[in-house]
Amino acid sequence: MLTLDHIYKWVNNGGRRVFLLNDLNLKVEQGEFLSIMGPSGSGKSTLLNVIAMLDEFDEGEYYFDGEAIHELKPKKRTAIFNENIGFIFQAYHLLDDLTVYENIETPLLYKKVNRSERQSRVADMLDRFNIVGKKDLFPHQLSGGQQQLVGIARALIINPKLILADEPTGNLNSKQSEEIMELFAELNKEGTTIIQATHSESNAAYGTRTIHLLDGSIVKN
Amino acid sequence: MIRNYFKIAWRSLIKEKTFAGINIVGLSVAFASAVLLGMYSIYELSYDNFHQSDRIYQSYSTYEVPSGRQILVSQPIPFAEALKQEVPGIEQIARYNAGSEVIISEGKQFRFSVAFTDPHFFKIFDFPVSRGDSEALGKPNEIALTQETAQTIFGKEEAVGKTISMQLDGEEKPFLVTSVLKNIPQNSSLGFDIAADFTQQSSSAYRDLKDDWGHANHEVYIKLEPGVSVANFEKASRAFSNSHNQGFIEQMKKEGVSPDENGQFIQERLLPLKDIHLAKEKDGMLMADRLFPNLLLGIAILIIFIASVNFINMSIARNFQRIREIGMRKTLGAGKGQLFFQFWGESLLVFLFSALLGLGIARLLLKEFQSLFRTSASLDMIITPQGVLFLLLIVLLVSLIAGGYPAFSASRIETISALKGRLSRDGNNQLRDTLIVFQFAIAILLISGTVVLYSQLEYLQNKDLGFNKQEVISIPMNGKKEDARVIQQLRNELGKTPGIESITAANGVLGLGLDGGRSSSAMSFQFEGRTVETNLLMVEYDYPETIGLELVAGRSFDRSRPADSLAVIINENMAQQLNQEKIIGTPLQMDDTGAEKFTVIGVVKDYNFQDLDQAIEPISLFLKPHWNMRYIYVKVRNANSAAILKTIEKAWKKIEPEAEFQGSYLNENIDRILKREKNMITMITSGSIVAITLSCMGLFAMSLIVAAQRKKEIGIRKVVGAGIGTVTMLLTRDFVKLVLVAFVIATPVAWYFSSEWLQNYPYRVSLSLWMFLAAGLIALIIAVFTISFKTIHAAVQNPVKSLKTE
Repeated sequence: MLTLDHIYKWVNNGGRRVFLLNDLNLKVEQGEFLSIMGPSGSGKSTLLNVIAMLDEFDEGEYYFDGEAIHELKPKKRTAIFNENIGFIFQAYHLLDDLTVYENIETPLLYKKVNRSERQSRVADMLDRFNIVGKKDLFPHQLSGGQQQLVGIARALIINPKLILADEPTGNLNSKQSEEIMELFAELNKEGTTIIQATHSESNAAYGTRTIHLLDGSIVKN
Repeated sequence: MIRNYFKIAWRSLIKEKTFAGINIVGLSVAFASAVLLGMYSIYELSYDNFHQSDRIYQSYSTYEVPSGRQILVSQPIPFAEALKQEVPGIEQIARYNAGSEVIISEGKQFRFSVAFTDPHFFKIFDFPVSRGDSEALGKPNEIALTQETAQTIFGKEEAVGKTISMQLDGEEKPFLVTSVLKNIPQNSSLGFDIAADFTQQSSSAYRDLKDDWGHANHEVYIKLEPGVSVANFEKASRAFSNSHNQGFIEQMKKEGVSPDENGQFIQERLLPLKDIHLAKEKDGMLMADRLFPNLLLGIAILIIFIASVNFINMSIARNFQRIREIGMRKTLGAGKGQLFFQFWGESLLVFLFSALLGLGIARLLLKEFQSLFRTSASLDMIITPQGVLFLLLIVLLVSLIAGGYPAFSASRIETISALKGRLSRDGNNQLRDTLIVFQFAIAILLISGTVVLYSQLEYLQNKDLGFNKQEVISIPMNGKKEDARVIQQLRNELGKTPGIESITAANGVLGLGLDGGRSSSAMSFQFEGRTVETNLLMVEYDYPETIGLELVAGRSFDRSRPADSLAVIINENMAQQLNQEKIIGTPLQMDDTGAEKFTVIGVVKDYNFQDLDQAIEPISLFLKPHWNMRYIYVKVRNANSAAILKTIEKAWKKIEPEAEFQGSYLNENIDRILKREKNMITMITSGSIVAITLSCMGLFAMSLIVAAQRKKEIGIRKVVGAGIGTVTMLLTRDFVKLVLVAFVIATPVAWYFSSEWLQNYPYRVSLSLWMFLAAGLIALIIAVFTISFKTIHAAVQNPVKSLKTE
């Protein structure tokens, strides 16, 4: 599904190059559930951002579904991202001013999906995550686990091919973490490709494959 | 989608109550002020625009005389007819002479403004007839009333067909009402209650002067034929001017006066109708002076600008707080356009709401505004389909500029840095600081304008005008009785009243009386082969003593000397013009016939008998007790006493029971001629108060934001030992710098405009630095006071608290 080929990303710090990603090669197949592990600063988030096309890289080639992403205009890249990828954050990043329902609906608004279809898709999603009763609540009225559920529901509403999750359980207790991980495993079984970055061995174990990052390179595959 | 935008906008407003509140209050106050000022200004500029034709002009002439160029709007009686005959291009021409006359109907006595004019007048102007003969003034004895006048005289009865009398030449002359005119719009520079035929005026105004080219006493209005340009008409009129004024031209040539650039000593000119209301003399021509209305429009725009700056600054500052939301939305697939519209939608909501609120506030304040500025400008002028559309466009435009920039900058933030909450602040702070500097520069500009205007007004009010303004009362003679009789009876009635020192009369007023009338006369005559110009005033005995003129040479009029009927008292300026070694006793041959030879018996110190924006001109006082006097003057012992005014009113009512008593002290009269200056002061003062208030509201909001942004820094500083004073200083310093920069920018501009404006006044205060320093200091103190609320609050906070939240 996606191939990263000799990816370099660096920042200049006092005349010296500091590598965030250093000659990174990665291939992810459709249907995989990949866990990326590594200590803080090893480049997990940077890698996810590069995969999500939210961040640029300085050297190397990136193919997504056969498209050469490194050759595309930013606008086209954004379009591919919006079409195919759902992103889940450690800090949930729900919009505070919107209700659960509206948060889930927002990506569809930006895609100009018509009203009746929006309604049915959001209703399906609420059903699926058992949060119908919470649809009119605002994020601050929910627990962390529930907020992350909404975050996942919002990522899934566009039927993405790929889900990127950056420490999705970092702010949750272990019971909530487990629930989220079970959900990921289930989604993966249904066919969604998932890439998660995590600190936790137990979370990584839910994946079908684990890679370890250190200083921007894969050290263990 | 749009519904969604507004929903989000509404919620974010509710969430940020303080900022939304400051913005809405600020913007609605700004819109209200702008609407009121704009309305006044549009009203002033709209004068006479209800007349359909754009080919209507007022005729005036410029004369080259020894003292320079003279402008005269008055024309001699044969002028209009001759001009139409001899100069091509005139479609219609009408003479016009308006004055106050006594009207009698069924024993009741009224005083109305009567316009004596030619029938063509109604073909030139659009003063439509509402009832009766549609061709008003068809015959000389016919008369036309406005609806209001008809109502006053006849109440509900039909006015058409009735006969009323006008007191002319001491007789009651009957007229037949044949037409009732629609009421004259407020914004008409020609205003009258009754129109009558030009030939029906008193004989001193018409019959005696019928063929006299030497006396000018009325205005002339012209409608040009289509396609005739003013320049061509003025050129074509030169032969006419030369042929009818040969004597004058010969004389000027003899005295070595140089003609104008076209070799003319007299030039007929045309002033467009729409310029009449604001016409002012400039460079020897009449021109519309739109300074004041334009100034007000300018202030209106500045005020909107200030409120918009607050909006921009607060929006940009709030973008920092919303930066994660922006990043989030971008990862959810929001395009730049969509983000832009969301943020712009929020500002549009605020602006539309504020505009509506502002309009409401303007409506509430309208009555106050109208009475404060004595204007009949009303909101009806603005609330027309075009007006509303225009307002809407303005709101849209301002919200696009003020809301668009923050929206634009928000939409362009990089997704990744937005998600991480990172944003470079320097660029935005520069914009913010620049805008604050501009805001305060405007505020300081307006405040210093107020200070200068106020000093000038103060100066004019306290200036020694050369006469006693506190202890003299002027009373317009608006009754039916003969003037000399009234004066005599008043003297009998009040002569022995304690507190009253003397009573006299003159045919001119000092300042502007309660009757609102002004008149002046001037003439020129030959003296030792030169042309001498002088203003004329007909006075009663005791005039110089009563109003307190200071004799510098000779004596005043004396009842015991019958020869004083040919005596004249002149002012210093006139004495200078005559330039005699021994001025007392100088004979003056003041008319061509040589029938009357006057003798100078006294010289009084120069006094301001005209408006205060005019230099003192020469004047000659003639003793003419039986002249048509217009004002009685009473010298009282106590300055501005209301009690004595009551006593005089009682006596007046005994003599003229029908006529209204309009006595007022001369200093009140002077204040009345300073109405324009006062209006200007009130408007600019209100403008600067609004400007400084709005600027401070913005500053207050900024201090809230800055204190929040620097919370951690303040905490750290306090932990390492900074005191409350130091921290307050730290936060205040940056803002004080901005106000100082604003002061440096605003002062030269304010100085320039103030000195330009003061050029209009021959008597003016000299500009000094303290006026501008005062303005800057006021702005600075208010600014520091405003931000001190938040800075001190931030400084006294327990540092542990502020560090814990991080």
